[in-house]
Amino acid sequence: MERELIEYLAKALVDEPEQVEVAVIEGEKSTILELRVAPDDVGKVIGKHGRIAKSIRTVLSAASSKSGKRVVLEILD
Amino acid sequence: MVYEFEGKTEREAIDTAVESLGLQRDEFDVEIVETQKAGLFNFNKKVVIRVHTQDVDGNRFDTTPAAPKSKPRVQTEVPKVRGSYNPEPENDLEHALVDFIHGTTEKMGFPAKAIIAYREEDKIGIRLDSEYSGILIGKKGKNLDALQLLVNVIAARMVDEGYRVVLDSENYRSRREEALIRLAEKVGDQVKRTRKSRLLEPMNPFERRLIHTALANVEDIETKSEGEGLYKQVRVIYKSGF
Repeated sequence: MERELIEYLAKALVDEPEQVEVAVIEGEKSTILELRVAPDDVGKVIGKHGRIAKSIRTVLSAASSKSGKRVVLEILD
Repeated sequence: MVYEFEGKTEREAIDTAVESLGLQRDEFDVEIVETQKAGLFNFNKKVVIRVHTQDVDGNRFDTTPAAPKSKPRVQTEVPKVRGSYNPEPENDLEHALVDFIHGTTEKMGFPAKAIIAYREEDKIGIRLDSEYSGILIGKKGKNLDALQLLVNVIAARMVDEGYRVVLDSENYRSRREEALIRLAEKVGDQVKRTRKSRLLEPMNPFERRLIHTALANVEDIETKSEGEGLYKQVRVIYKSGF
């Protein structure tokens, strides 16, 4: 569910949506989502001073608030 | 008709009443039924109000003399209209923004309907209607601001920079604006009285401007922003006059 949200947001933000990949690493108390995008698109999901990444994380934590499990987003470059 | 509402404060209860009834504040009478103060073992402060509205014929249930005959107005957003106003998306850009909001809120698990609230030359207002508006707004508007930033990034990909998208839900923006101006006035009075400066909570640039502007013409007081980054704090300072 959170994976789909991240995939959706990333695809909307980048130039090469077909290169968007999200890996899910399930932990006991938290879930890590690893987002991979095309090298030229990394800036598009991070933004100036990380503003876009911060907003994505805010939206993600709102979405995961009802499950109670912590979901962490990592952007790989 | 008589309705009851409750809230943490009288103000909050009245705001709820205004929202749920779709009336203006001056269109009903408020009676405070119950005030429960937060005590040592009772953290829930609660105010219950009873609201008396005019019925459709304009007659009040109580005996206030000759109330003017008017139908209760349904509170509608007054959009700054350009041409004929249409709440549905009209062009590629608007469709893209509305689709993005629908997609994102649905994937969040809190689906919202995006409605165009107003259009200006370089600006568009979009309202999120949702049963989950509370979580979509978030604490101090955090989630709404994050969504707004992302929607603006999408818009910037399609049109020139300088075009802005403003998201709102349940009139959060105007309510927050009013609350901040009230806060500024309250703190202003306090600083004048105590002659001690006060530091407000971190705010975004738009919110800080509201505070600065609200206190700009108040005597004996000046305001300054402190801190780094987007969220600075405003300090309200007493000017000693020396």
